[in-house]
Amino acid sequence: MMTATTATSTSAAGASRRRLSISVLALATFALAAAACGSDSGGAGENGTVTIYSGRAERLIQPILDDFSDTTDIAVDVKYGDSADLALLIEEEAVAGNVQADVFLSQSPGSIGFLDDAGRLGELPTATLDLVPPTVRDAEGNWVGFSGRQRVLVYNADLVDEAELPSSVFDMTAPEWAGRVGVAPGNGSFQDFVTAMRVTEGDDVTMQWLDDLAANDPITYSNNSAIVAAVGRGEVDTGLVNHYYNYRALDEDPGLPSRNHQFAPDDPGSLLIVTGAGILADSDDPALATELIDYLLSPSGQEYFADETFEYPLAIGVEPSGDVPPIEFSDVSNFDYGQLGGGLEQTRQMIADAGLQG
Amino acid sequence: MGGVAASDTSATPGRHDRVGSVAGVVRGPRSAWAPGRLLGLAIGAVFAMPVAFVVWRTLRLGASLPDALAEVPGPLWRTIQLAVLVSATAAIVGTGVAWLTTRTDLPFRRTWRIALVLPLALPSFVGAAAFIAGLAPGGFIHDALDLVGITPPRRFRGLGASWLVMSAFTYPYVMLPVVARMANLRTSLEESGRLLGFSATQTFVRVTLPQLRPAILGGTLLVFLYSVSEFGAVQLLGYDTLTRVIYSTRQTNRALSFAAATVVLVLALGVVALERSQRGRSGADDRTATGSPRTIRLGWRVVPAVAACLAVLSVGLLVPLLSLGTWAQRGLADGRIGFSELVDPAISTATIAVIAAVIAVLVVLPVAAGSIRRPHPTSQIASVSVVVGFAIPGIVIALSLAVLTLNTPLLNRFYQSAGLLVLAYVIHFGSQALAGTETAVRAVPDHVRESGKLLEPNALRRAWSIDWPLMRPGLLAAGGLVMLSTLKELPITLLLSPIGFSTLATEIWSSYEEGFYAATGLASLVLIAISATLTWVLVLRRSEAVSS
Repeated sequence: MMTATTATSTSAAGASRRRLSISVLALATFALAAAACGSDSGGAGENGTVTIYSGRAERLIQPILDDFSDTTDIAVDVKYGDSADLALLIEEEAVAGNVQADVFLSQSPGSIGFLDDAGRLGELPTATLDLVPPTVRDAEGNWVGFSGRQRVLVYNADLVDEAELPSSVFDMTAPEWAGRVGVAPGNGSFQDFVTAMRVTEGDDVTMQWLDDLAANDPITYSNNSAIVAAVGRGEVDTGLVNHYYNYRALDEDPGLPSRNHQFAPDDPGSLLIVTGAGILADSDDPALATELIDYLLSPSGQEYFADETFEYPLAIGVEPSGDVPPIEFSDVSNFDYGQLGGGLEQTRQMIADAGLQG
Repeated sequence: MGGVAASDTSATPGRHDRVGSVAGVVRGPRSAWAPGRLLGLAIGAVFAMPVAFVVWRTLRLGASLPDALAEVPGPLWRTIQLAVLVSATAAIVGTGVAWLTTRTDLPFRRTWRIALVLPLALPSFVGAAAFIAGLAPGGFIHDALDLVGITPPRRFRGLGASWLVMSAFTYPYVMLPVVARMANLRTSLEESGRLLGFSATQTFVRVTLPQLRPAILGGTLLVFLYSVSEFGAVQLLGYDTLTRVIYSTRQTNRALSFAAATVVLVLALGVVALERSQRGRSGADDRTATGSPRTIRLGWRVVPAVAACLAVLSVGLLVPLLSLGTWAQRGLADGRIGFSELVDPAISTATIAVIAAVIAVLVVLPVAAGSIRRPHPTSQIASVSVVVGFAIPGIVIALSLAVLTLNTPLLNRFYQSAGLLVLAYVIHFGSQALAGTETAVRAVPDHVRESGKLLEPNALRRAWSIDWPLMRPGLLAAGGLVMLSTLKELPITLLLSPIGFSTLATEIWSSYEEGFYAATGLASLVLIAISATLTWVLVLRRSEAVSS
């Protein structure tokens, strides 16, 4: 390999390669420096900057944040990630007295409740809280729901006759549904739904339901998307999910046979799960942060969620999109969302005790 | 760990005698090595930070042992089963394809060599998702099986499915270091074997394989640690492992989450100790090639050889590619998605991955040199702390570095900086550079170093003219693995990156989580294309110049 001749030719070719690798490295360093500077300079708005940690996906929320920036001349810096991970990161920042974010947007009540319990959220102004009904905000006024998704049963219309679908989630533990239900026991929205069931039906009833469900050979998945996809391809007949994932799935591939089925309006299976927005107690500009949350709850913000993400608007006076079935808020979610945060560990424990991976 | 130290001291005396006689003249007194040892320990200490964080948190949060023991055994056993099966498979497949694509007359072997590395390019969750989609009705595999009259199983999940998918995504961890080792194997031994009348297979098993052992073991260890810390793919495949406990309790029961992470650490340390004890003394026999290796003619066996490579590639790359292509094509057809939004993430991704790879190799090199050339308990500690970084889930590494920088007065300005992000990548993926750099260090045997010192007194020129050409395949393989892993890294990138910094992996994740499959598909295809290009231009093409 390293005979004299090959060594010579290698070193000749090596010289040009060396130049190439040095230039690639220099280019890389330059690009990174440029990218780093770019993110700094891009952040300056005429009227200041709001920093957001968002557990809501970029595709679902960046457009409305851009609208906010355009309308108010307030720049928006966003860090995207999983709600639970971001909440943990904010907690570490807060312990160190170095909170970066002004606003936390959570995919589910669990993660924002975690920060609320740790005392990391500041109180929202009454004017902001009053934009939504009392049922979809924190009782202490530390966070507010800004869009809603209803728990539903997604089913494969090729495999299941809609007429045989029950009106209560309690019926899904019956023998005829053995091995036919997909659940995501480790997912935040399933856990929120179980917590809500504990609040409305009591721990004994809930534990019994979890035991019955676990005994009924359910198929477990990691999250709502995975269940909807599995139902769509016929891997499982039905699944307990949030309503809007199937709208997304049909948007991607209109030929899919997955459909949503609503349980009765007063059934725990029909819970409305809200996304949550709160302002960090250590925010250096709560006024700007409030402006952002008010914008999310304004008619243009709420119509965005109704029309673009197929969710339920929560602000009083804004109607859902024509695509989603109307729901009565007073029927579906009459309990304190603040209870979800603290009760989450016990819920997780109950799910695990039932033998569901959670 | 006692076993590790013991085996090393037993290996040491002979080397000391041999090295000492010459080194006494050339290197100066042995105490001169103290700075090198300190450097190794300092590097090891940086790598050990997340480990210290996990242990400290577990103790501080007062994890209840009974609670942990109640939740852990089932997932732990499943984790071990999966990791052992996947490691064994990856070792066999990785070594096999490495040999086929370097030593035989397999047609298009250069193309194979790059294509067979690419299953490493996809984040495992999207690879698994795409593979499952291929099996579904309307999917590529489903239709193909239909054609031949087989009805595929309704569900693709559990241990078997996880084993297949994980093996197909991880064998390149073995393949790359083995290819690098083959590049400067001592072929004279193979010639001797041939003269003794060994067949090609006999030569491989009795002569080549023992020389490859450290590279195979090093790569297999990576596969094991990867399987232990993997979360996304096994979740999608419905297989419940220890990482699920870590993730599902990370917010609601932090003590339990950290206790589970400690269990992962203990498991990893045990396996690392086992690997170290199995290496034996092969380092001593790593003299380098003096002639080109003979190409083995496959003859009729070319058919099964190509079929085997194709099968491996199908599971790891072709089937996911077809699914991703289908998703992307749907979105491109109606103009929902486009390439323009991917330009910035693509540039950031490639840039930071190349930087992380170069730094990881530079940082790990002293540790590798220490454990190969100057075996000593301290160099072993440094090397082990580099290795276990891979077994710690990325989210834990991210949190540990966040806590460290946030709470240290001079360091807190680096919180969420590109520098901290690169450091986190280096800590998480340094182990991947270790196997390759160790191979590189072994490629410069003592007798070559010693004669080199007599012929060329200038250390820099010596490094350029003697060390670099011999070490290049190993170093490139090391950097290549770190680069490929960084390209697709997700949890660390999400938490530690500067605000507004996005990579292809974060794009893929945020699209996939919300069911935007068209965007997921397109970003994944771009990621694979970039991985392929960088692997070819920066890694394989350069190794090629030496090995051919």
